[in-house]
Amino acid sequence: MSGFTTILRKDLRLELRSGESTITLVFLSLLILTVLTFALNAPGGDAATAAGALWVAMIFAGTMGATRALIAEWENGCIRGLLLSPAERSAIYCAKLVASFVFMAVAELAAMVLMVLFYNLDFGIRLVRLSPILAMGALGFAALATLLATIQVRIRGGDLLLPLLIVPVFVPALIAGVKASNAALAGLRFDAFAQWLKILAACDILFLAGGYLLFEHVISED
Amino acid sequence: MNHLPIEARDVGKNFGLSPVLRGVTLKVDEGEGAIVFGSNGSGKSTLVRILAGLSSASAGEALLFGRPARKLQPHDRLRIGLLTHQSFLYPRLTARENLEFYAGLYRIDGTISINELLKRTGLASVADECVSRFSRGMEQRLTLARAIIARPDVLLMDEPLAALDTEGVELAMGLIEEALGRGCATVVTAHERFQFGRFDFTSYALIHGRLRPAQGDLRTEATERSPAAG
Amino acid sequence: MGIKAAHWLGVVTLAIMTAAIFMVFVYVPTEAQQGNVQRIFYFHVPCAWAAFAAFALVAISGVFYLWFGHQVWDDLGCAAAEVGMLFCTLVLITGSIWAKPIWGTWWTWDSRLTTTLVLWLLYAGYLTLRAMADEVSQVGRLAAVVGIVAAADVPVIIVSVRLWRTIHPAVIVTRQGSHGLEDPRMIATLLVSLAAFTVLSAWLLMLRFATLRAAARLTNLGRQLALTEAEMADRSAQHVMSSRR
Repeated sequence: MSGFTTILRKDLRLELRSGESTITLVFLSLLILTVLTFALNAPGGDAATAAGALWVAMIFAGTMGATRALIAEWENGCIRGLLLSPAERSAIYCAKLVASFVFMAVAELAAMVLMVLFYNLDFGIRLVRLSPILAMGALGFAALATLLATIQVRIRGGDLLLPLLIVPVFVPALIAGVKASNAALAGLRFDAFAQWLKILAACDILFLAGGYLLFEHVISED
Repeated sequence: MNHLPIEARDVGKNFGLSPVLRGVTLKVDEGEGAIVFGSNGSGKSTLVRILAGLSSASAGEALLFGRPARKLQPHDRLRIGLLTHQSFLYPRLTARENLEFYAGLYRIDGTISINELLKRTGLASVADECVSRFSRGMEQRLTLARAIIARPDVLLMDEPLAALDTEGVELAMGLIEEALGRGCATVVTAHERFQFGRFDFTSYALIHGRLRPAQGDLRTEATERSPAAG
Repeated sequence: MGIKAAHWLGVVTLAIMTAAIFMVFVYVPTEAQQGNVQRIFYFHVPCAWAAFAAFALVAISGVFYLWFGHQVWDDLGCAAAEVGMLFCTLVLITGSIWAKPIWGTWWTWDSRLTTTLVLWLLYAGYLTLRAMADEVSQVGRLAAVVGIVAAADVPVIIVSVRLWRTIHPAVIVTRQGSHGLEDPRMIATLLVSLAAFTVLSAWLLMLRFATLRAAARLTNLGRQLALTEAEMADRSAQHVMSSRR
């Protein structure tokens, strides 16, 4: 895919310099986790609440932070520079998707560490089993967010509209992700919650394929 | 059969109900240039965007190298340079990094050409400063460098001399002259003709959405008049 | 779409709907376990069918719109979404009305109702997008993309919600049991009701679609008018200039 590496490298370099997206995502996630702990009255070792809180944090921090990778291109009209260049639209999509995923993954990692502290869990094999589940969730979310991100810039009030669109579509991934996360934190092995992983994988494939195929229709101007 | 590098055939564009462009026809061959005058809001920028394939025409079509500008293949997009009011520059990257990025996109192998370009636009001394610190004039010079970095065969420039000082104008002229010499087809929009006087450009005026050949009073009329309302 | 076709469809709708109402309230026997409340089932299920079918239509129109680019497909998708939203809301309302007397709660998280709720949210997102993006010229393409992704998502939603409910032994027994219709009169009533709601949604769709098409024609006329005005202004300007010389 022409342009993928160039664009991704540029985005990662920019992010290393300013840390804008990642820091926003990290702090938002931590904030949401804290609020949830107070709201659900649940400090202490309830693994079920922990998993749920993590996913809530992922989704809401994500609706604000995962789109930044693409939105940043509207400054100085750079998106037009990209569209004019030989880079393929799918390359633009994939580069932005990967960038968003990386930022979300970092935030998820921070959230996971905080969750262990807040909910008095143990570091260990359970977290190792949890990580790929969270990663799959973040990947699917990033795929959706990158596809729909243009809504945020093109429409007045678009940043309110975006969660309304992403969250219902993300529901199956949320259901499967929380179930799988609960199981992982409870110490179960992968085959015990394989069906949830399959659903999560199906969501990822659907969102990635949808994004890859449909991105060109949302990114070009009229 | 040799296709014209730049061609607009009866191009029309509506924004909502109002026709911003009507029946615009334009042909530019290799090594030739066209200059389009028009006051603010006359549709110059829209026309340039349509020629570049960034916007679609409501009527007619814009062709580059004989193919629809809107559906250009990557190998054709390599050959186009565009300069608009927006710089397409990343404020947090340095001048050099910006050019390296576009060099990467346009598949140019070129620390040498980047250094060369920086020198020719007088930016060698600030090459490693962030664009956010640049003045408007310096930004414009870098935008120019970005537009021609891939040695395009088609150059579309919307008010390329905006914010440039005398030295900047001279540098810009040099680059455009070289491009023309290479056989690049060029369309330029402007307010004033005198700066482009040295080139043998065909003059047009965009008045009320129509593109007319400009001679004598038509040109003055275009720059003096304000666009029709709505 | 002629006015005549719409009128005929309206008449047919009225006829079949009258038959359906008669069958639901008079013809079909009262269900043994649930009593008269169960009759709402004959409205609830066809509404659900209409809501899901309309959503499929939204997605299909979206695909055609992206492929062909004709405004017609965008208008069809928009009309389908509005009609579908109406029936989706009715599913939730009738579901609620049914649940209260039988199980004592306004809402049950059973798999079907929950899936319909998510569908309702998808509809809400789609329609809000259309409402907010109205002046943006690409609203059709954005809406089409959202519709396609959402519709492709629906099967996954159905599976995941069903799995979600069966793993947790439901507090409220799902209504699966009550879909076993023993009496052939019940089956007949359901079929007639399905037909009635299908025709009703088709009729509403046709009406809405016709309105959108008329609006599109108006816009085109408006553009032609503006063009003609501009050309007249041209000519009078030229006249002025030549008379100056």
